[in-house]
Amino acid sequence: MDLLGLANYAVFMAILIGIYALLALGLNIQWGFTGLFNAGIAGFFAIGAYTSAILTSLPAAHRLGGFELPMVLGWVAAMLVAAAIAWPIGKICLRFRSDYLAIATIGIAEIIRLVIRTEGWLTGGVRGITGIPRPFGELPYMQSQLAFLAIVVVLVLLAYMLVERQVNAPWGRMMRAIRDNENAAAAMGKRVADRRLQAFVFGSALMGLAGALFVHFNRSITPEAIDPMIATFLIWIMLILGGSGNNRGAILGAAAIWIIWSVSELLTDRLPTEVAIQAKYARVFIIGLTLQLVLRFRPEGIVPERQAGAASSRR
Amino acid sequence: MPLLDFLNFYLVPGIVLGSIYAVGAIGITLVFGILRFAHFAHGDMATLGAFIALALVAGGMDPWTALPVAMAATAVVAIGVDKAFYDYLKARPKIVTVMASLGVALMLRSVVQVVWGVDPRTYATGIVRPDSYFGILLRPRELYTLASVVLIVVGLALFLRHSKWGKAMRAMSDNPDLARLSGVDNRKVTMLTWAIVGALCAASGFMLGINTELHSMMGWQLLLPMFAAAIVGGVGRVEGAVLGGLVVGIAEELSIFILPAQYKAATAFALLLLILLVRPRGLLNGKVL
Amino acid sequence: MPLLDMKDVRGGYGDADILQGVSITVAEREIVVIVGPNGAGKSTAMKAVFGLLNVRGGAIVFDGEDITGWAPNRIVQRGVCYVPQVDNVFREMTVHENFEMGAFLRGGDLSAAYDRVYGLFPDLKAKRRNLAGDLSGGQRQMVAMGRALMLDPKLLLLDEPTAGLSPKYMEQIFQITRDVRDAGVSILLVEQHAKQALAFCDRGYVLATGANRHEGTGQALLADREVAEMFLGG
Repeated sequence: MDLLGLANYAVFMAILIGIYALLALGLNIQWGFTGLFNAGIAGFFAIGAYTSAILTSLPAAHRLGGFELPMVLGWVAAMLVAAAIAWPIGKICLRFRSDYLAIATIGIAEIIRLVIRTEGWLTGGVRGITGIPRPFGELPYMQSQLAFLAIVVVLVLLAYMLVERQVNAPWGRMMRAIRDNENAAAAMGKRVADRRLQAFVFGSALMGLAGALFVHFNRSITPEAIDPMIATFLIWIMLILGGSGNNRGAILGAAAIWIIWSVSELLTDRLPTEVAIQAKYARVFIIGLTLQLVLRFRPEGIVPERQAGAASSRR
Repeated sequence: MPLLDFLNFYLVPGIVLGSIYAVGAIGITLVFGILRFAHFAHGDMATLGAFIALALVAGGMDPWTALPVAMAATAVVAIGVDKAFYDYLKARPKIVTVMASLGVALMLRSVVQVVWGVDPRTYATGIVRPDSYFGILLRPRELYTLASVVLIVVGLALFLRHSKWGKAMRAMSDNPDLARLSGVDNRKVTMLTWAIVGALCAASGFMLGINTELHSMMGWQLLLPMFAAAIVGGVGRVEGAVLGGLVVGIAEELSIFILPAQYKAATAFALLLLILLVRPRGLLNGKVL
Repeated sequence: MPLLDMKDVRGGYGDADILQGVSITVAEREIVVIVGPNGAGKSTAMKAVFGLLNVRGGAIVFDGEDITGWAPNRIVQRGVCYVPQVDNVFREMTVHENFEMGAFLRGGDLSAAYDRVYGLFPDLKAKRRNLAGDLSGGQRQMVAMGRALMLDPKLLLLDEPTAGLSPKYMEQIFQITRDVRDAGVSILLVEQHAKQALAFCDRGYVLATGANRHEGTGQALLADREVAEMFLGG
């Protein structure tokens, strides 16, 4: 690979890392600060992606949509729809221990996958959606990539600052106090319940936004683009490895895991075909194992949560 | 629609599917009740059990003979998984073990994919015609499935009701602190629970496999209906898991009357949310974590 | 020599000492009650006997053997049984199964133990197949005591057995406690209802802020002005 190719690849990677960082930040709000177990990240990501795609893409004969709305509107709608789906789920499940939320989010991700595959009139079915615009897409390739990177970086920074501000406010302290006591959830007051719901909804909205960014970066989307389990699991390992409860850790984890994941894909792609397929699955095994090792040997992650007072230790 | 058609095309398949869910849901309810966490590797453990049986069948064994062997093998796997990945997390919040089980799910699945590939497989080839019992059509494999489920459920119920260690398991589910004060060894109960859960996983995977086909995602697709069944029946209640399994299985088959067939899988999810909304303890008044 | 001799015990659940030096003795066939204001360390003192506490000072001698620092299951086998204040029955198991779980560590023929327990709690005989969770509060307390008596202990520890019970049941529990003593078991109990408890016990201890304050026979303590002011509130 020549230098230019390398630079291209680096920018490409950086954009995807930024998108994953948004997802990891969303999960950090839910799990890191509030202790809510979202096992359906891919679902919220897909909802964001498809919402923005339908609203902003060019018209197509085989499906509804192609409204050619401005992209910013698509992004806002992506967040809103993801939030609108998260709200009832959270409303029903947050009364119980987080196990129930985990089950329900696995369920909602499955349903979203079913809808995307089945409702061809809306989502293009297996053909998916193409003709999705890209911000500054008319610029030459490199400039366009850099412009997109700039947008992603700005959005990640914005999300980061917003979350940091909340976490350092009394809200964050309250959330951490509840998070560290599993049984408190049942006994808490309405105000706390509302705050937890807000955390779940807002985190899911960020995941929706990440989906929208992805779809505009990719310019097309098919149901195959998102493997629900692996996508969800990658975000989890990013957050846990980076340092759950620490926003910088979340971003760092996103970068580290995404680089490892894509480089290992480059390597396995070079193997002979029969071995390559097996190596692809072995890669998933290693990701699963990595989580176990992190949980066992470094549960606080690379960048541990800052100890705001002595109370928030979380063995 | 004539009654017999309804029975043969909706109710009987619903009962067969429901009993398979029931066997899986019993395992989920035991882990939920005794070890107190939602075990997300349950479905993929069922996949592994089904494929272990496939390996035995490929080696020349009759499928229904392979079943108990696969159950025993998967029991050993389950104990091993607990020792390797869950046991050391027991002092931490339970939700961390839930997360670990999600990782184990991925690991078990990739083992299946590496060893057996991702193409669908079957235990036996060829079309089997159903026999008619007073107009009700049943294939031998469906008959064996129902019989096995009854055997498993009755056997387990007798064990839990009358044996010393079965009672210890119930005591641990009922009141873990008091069970410890009474001298029940937590480690032994945990091991026994995993052995039973592993065996049940293999049974549910095998029975789904013999009635449909085997593929590496089969267990993951079982997970939602199995959890729905356990919660609908009431967490910690074996008879609840059976009832819940039947409810979910039959509801899935009947959903075709109101939903497009592609959304069959959504039925379990709808039932899950409904029960959490109106009766979180489940039909038979189980636990809420 | 007393059956239980707890000498100047210090300790707590974590690093902080809740007990600052507690000494309690229980003789054979004696009912000893621990009373004291909230936070005095009454239940904590009892849990120390049962090995549920980090004991950092003093010693606990039971039946001539130093059991300080033993694990609860070893203490159970040595002949001490403990009835917690709450969640002290298996609610989803029958009365009979509760008793059976009480004898979990003991093999062999249990019929004598069942006869003894049903003899002490005749009301429960008719309800032996009922779920413990379906019984009234007083009957549940009896199941809890019966479960603990299945191992034929020498010493029974009762943590606030009358909490939340009506006066009628309170009297009944006290009567059963006397019957258990008369059957040869020593009893150490913690009580919130200080006045009634001191009236019925053989001896009592008043704890305050994790240390001994007063001790004596129940009657003597009831007559003590300082004790009276502490509980009967001027």
